[in-house]
Amino acid sequence: MRFDIIFDSRRWAAFSELSVWRFLLTGMQVTFTMAAIAIVCSLVFGLLLALMRVSRFPFLRWPAGLVIETIRSLPVLLLIFFSSLLIPRLGIGLDPFGAATLALTVYTAAVNAEIMRAGIVSIDRGQIEAARSLGLGYVQTMRYVVLPQALRRVIPPQVSQLVTLIKDTSLAAVIGVNELTRRTQILYQSEQPPNPLQALFVAACVYFAVNYTLSRLSRRWELSVGGAPLRVDAH
Amino acid sequence: MAANLPFLLQGLWVTVQLAVLSLLLALTLGIFFGVLRTVPLKPLRAVGTAYVEFFRNTPLLIQMYFTFFALPWLGVRLPGFQAAFLSLGIYTGAFVAEVVRSGILSISRGQVEAARSLGLSYVQTMRHVILPQAVSITVPPLGNLVIAMTKNTSVASAIAVQDVMYNGNILNSRTFATYEVFAAVGAGYLALTVPLSFAVNRIERHLTRFRR
Repeated sequence: MRFDIIFDSRRWAAFSELSVWRFLLTGMQVTFTMAAIAIVCSLVFGLLLALMRVSRFPFLRWPAGLVIETIRSLPVLLLIFFSSLLIPRLGIGLDPFGAATLALTVYTAAVNAEIMRAGIVSIDRGQIEAARSLGLGYVQTMRYVVLPQALRRVIPPQVSQLVTLIKDTSLAAVIGVNELTRRTQILYQSEQPPNPLQALFVAACVYFAVNYTLSRLSRRWELSVGGAPLRVDAH
Repeated sequence: MAANLPFLLQGLWVTVQLAVLSLLLALTLGIFFGVLRTVPLKPLRAVGTAYVEFFRNTPLLIQMYFTFFALPWLGVRLPGFQAAFLSLGIYTGAFVAEVVRSGILSISRGQVEAARSLGLSYVQTMRHVILPQAVSITVPPLGNLVIAMTKNTSVASAIAVQDVMYNGNILNSRTFATYEVFAAVGAGYLALTVPLSFAVNRIERHLTRFRR
């Protein structure tokens, strides 16, 4: 073991330069943009899929279930590769950034659908029966009784999913998106002497700072809302 | 395509090996650190918390790159498979530790005391009171972690481990049959994860059959 490499000041020197930080934080910005687009779109699609899945019509329920279960059972990296190879073939002009964001959206939508379904079915049946017997229609019951409570309950698992998503954006580096992970690689490959140890550790700390903060916020929200936490299959 | 199937199956076998070995490492680390997080000694608990929080909140890809590209500078040179096994085990271990910890904390001390004062021995208390509850609380989330980890083995392809994802990419660049190759690779993953999630559901239903 050569521990002197860890504390070699020449290998840390890059991180005292403003330009290096600007380079890395621009990558962080790309990471955030991908995560933001994917989480917003996946909330919409996820809710739609969840509503289809709890519907009483089999022709809505079954396709939604099939799509959700299939996508959730596949690795995100597979979806990212697939979308980066497939999209250009369809003649749609999406760069690696677009392809990765699309794949992350599709995957997160499937997971979010499952989270929201768990939220919807966690609402006591009695409330739905009460709402219906007060004369509210199915849509009104969903809109005014079930969803306001369900969406509140899904916030903590939703934030955990955002943390997972931010970690997953690093996979976009593999298809050449210039986000934080790839910029870190570019940095340590161009530095002399090479400093993958230091650079990867710094990148890990940046991810950690963001994700740990989000995890804490989610935990605090969970405690302030009270009640049993919603259990959702995390995979 | 049919001629290339053995090539993909060979990759799938690597995926399975990676998943099984990493799971063993993850369980070992997870149980150790999970228990460590419940001991009544603050510095030890802090070690457990640091492990769990750091590895859970950083991307697996960064951890794999670190093991594969950075550790050689410290004189630790690991082949791709071993680096992937180590990273995946450590990463998943952090999640396992959380499950183990919540399993331990979910059983109230009062139950142990009640069982003992009813005349049950320590072993009987464990056998009939504590373990059935601890298992029914931890097994379903552990099952989901196994599924997540199986999917995460694909990240190893980024450090050139020749798993089914890697072989799929090679095959795609050789044949340009993107649909067929990815359908086959996807089917390979589904063949692993779908039976697993089916099993997790069955086990969960079996374990919660007396509740409500």
